Amino acid sequence: MGRDVLINRRRFLQSMAAVGVVVACGPTATASPSPSVSASGSPAPKAVSIEWWRRNYAQGTQSAETITSDAAVKAYKDRASNVTIAIQGGPFGAETDQKFDIAILQAHNGPDVFHTTGGDVLKYAAAGQLSQPTLTDAERTDFNPSALKATTYKGTVVAYPLWIVPWFEYINLDLFKEAGVTPPTGGNWTYEEFLAAAKKLTFKRADGKQIYGFAHANDEFAFMLIDGGRPYDSTIKTWTFNSADAVSGLEKWVSLAQQKVMPPDFLTLNPNDSQARFLAGDVAILQRPSAMINILNADAKWKFGTNWDIANFPKAKGDQTAWGGVGFIAVREQSDADKKAAAHAFAKYLTGPDIGPDLKKQTPPVEYWLAPAGRKSAAGIYGDYHPAKAKVATMGAFTYVLPNVSTWSEIDQKYLRPARDAALEGKKTPKQALDEVAPQAQKLLDEANK
Amino acid sequence: MATAAPRRRRSLAAALRRYGWSYLFVLPTFSLFVVFTLLPVVQGLVLSLQNARVTGGEFIGLANFETLAADPVFVQALGNTILYATVVVAAQITLALIVASLIQPLGTRAHVFYRALFYLPLVNSAILVAMVWRWIFNANPFGLANTALGVIGLGPFLWIGSSDQALIAVILSAVLTIPGGGVVLYSAAMGSLPRELYEAADLDGASWFSKWRHITVPLLRPTTLYLLVIYTILAFQLFERVYIMTNGGGPNNATITIVQLIYSTAFQFGRYGLASAMAVVLFVMALGVALVQFRSLRSDVEY
Repeated sequence: MGRDVLINRRRFLQSMAAVGVVVACGPTATASPSPSVSASGSPAPKAVSIEWWRRNYAQGTQSAETITSDAAVKAYKDRASNVTIAIQGGPFGAETDQKFDIAILQAHNGPDVFHTTGGDVLKYAAAGQLSQPTLTDAERTDFNPSALKATTYKGTVVAYPLWIVPWFEYINLDLFKEAGVTPPTGGNWTYEEFLAAAKKLTFKRADGKQIYGFAHANDEFAFMLIDGGRPYDSTIKTWTFNSADAVSGLEKWVSLAQQKVMPPDFLTLNPNDSQARFLAGDVAILQRPSAMINILNADAKWKFGTNWDIANFPKAKGDQTAWGGVGFIAVREQSDADKKAAAHAFAKYLTGPDIGPDLKKQTPPVEYWLAPAGRKSAAGIYGDYHPAKAKVATMGAFTYVLPNVSTWSEIDQKYLRPARDAALEGKKTPKQALDEVAPQAQKLLDEANK
Repeated sequence: MATAAPRRRRSLAAALRRYGWSYLFVLPTFSLFVVFTLLPVVQGLVLSLQNARVTGGEFIGLANFETLAADPVFVQALGNTILYATVVVAAQITLALIVASLIQPLGTRAHVFYRALFYLPLVNSAILVAMVWRWIFNANPFGLANTALGVIGLGPFLWIGSSDQALIAVILSAVLTIPGGGVVLYSAAMGSLPRELYEAADLDGASWFSKWRHITVPLLRPTTLYLLVIYTILAFQLFERVYIMTNGGGPNNATITIVQLIYSTAFQFGRYGLASAMAVVLFVMALGVALVQFRSLRSDVEY
């Protein structure tokens, strides 16, 4: 009996070898996942861990990006309990952009799903690092067309449009009242009405305090759009920001500078400075994106409809225009099919209509998102939170989203802004300034199209 | 003649046997120098000959340098950097020399007090200092410079809000800062000048200014040379002051400098090759200026 149960060394090694052969010939875990069977008999979803990289996320902080991202992950866990999502962050800026670039472009590693903007989408797509979304026809028509166009690379949509961030005018109703100016009806005004209002709103009080009619941050070119001027043609191959429409738009902007309705340092006002001037009551009309609504809401002295409101861009020769940025959720190309599939499902959730109501149900309710959605079916939730946001949610229809060009930041910072400055300072005529930079801009556009 | 080489080898071997161990003491510092200074410089040189981006690059010879020569923004950055360095270095050395000369005759306690007083601001964050200057040169009437000039009926000026005045404001912010390091070095050097020269000058009835002009200043040439080289290199590296005071390049790129452009070219536009070529140009400029300064200010006088 004892002899039967004894396994000698030779038999042990033989059995181990047999097991080894079976294991080696069997399926691998990553190559073809075989779902395990749950107690009820139906296959349980396989556990997957993915990484989501989100700019300005910092665990434990109260930034809007942190709160909404944590809430999104929590809500998604209820829908897909097998998916574990770890969030990585980094402050807005060049250092974080570089972290993304090194991980995605050099190491071909890093995030499974990530939030991205602007030319980065095309950069990653050109490097073959984006896994293409599979969109149904219904989903395609649901997304804002300009947002979808902004994420199209060589005819293919390469990421999920998340939101559109429109820029528009914030108006200080107290200053309008003080200057005897009627706010624009329904937020609509022509350029001439806007200019007349800005002039009246530029005045000095008895105590010597100077009020300015209008201000914007130094990262703008919105006025160049209002007569119909656009940076590129529809094929994004030809630089057109020196067209007659762009020049006349810049002339209207220059006119504001000449009429001295803007603070004298308007060329160096960074976004925070410009917002601070409005919040301090020094500026009557401020051009800023939708995120400032939350800043005003957080300040007890600002009451929407009582002392502040929003209005559209002034309308000129072109159609009603707003301009804005667009954010995307992208999925990184990788060989792990499970992670990729989970990343796509999560990306669809982040950009879809379910996340808003899910977050609203949380305790306390979390406002989702930070900007109007990039698709119609998800638009309502943004407007539900605030009457100003309800107004902004309608702006997507006429918001011009800059098509993504990988060299845009170089065109803008190195050439377009200095040209704009030269015109606004009166050193060059708008036509001269825009004609001068056109060759360099075209060269960089050609490079982006290679 | 045939035995000279083996003899040299023998003496080298003997020297290594005898002193070789001493290189161990140099090794840690030398290793750090190689890893964190020498290798990056070499890598920068290599990158400057490539169209390097974050995904890699190919050898393109001197094409980056040709691009720079034809780029009006780089030419402007080069001009701004040279203008800033010329004015600021000259002003800072003059100012340091004058301040050190003024505190030199004072007693030891006063000496220590003033040296500390002028040196202490250097421990402040350059970013904070630049933010203060941004407020001083604000275009609005509440900027300190405009408030002060308003008292005597001048201004208000646009300062950093104007492409004509922004670089002047940046230069003024540097010129109006007393160079504490220079004051301390000049002050220390003055303390070690030979007294007998001054006694001889006194016997000859030389005035204070004559002694300063003909004894102090010439004998301070080694210190002046050192400060000149260091201040020039620092001025060529101007970045944070411009970045903070004028949001980068200022209106119409009026304050853009080479290092500012290197930063944006590498980290915002992702052109590492082109940015490295700019860094090489900056390196050659600093080396050239240092060589010229060494040759023209070299002094055989030791004291």
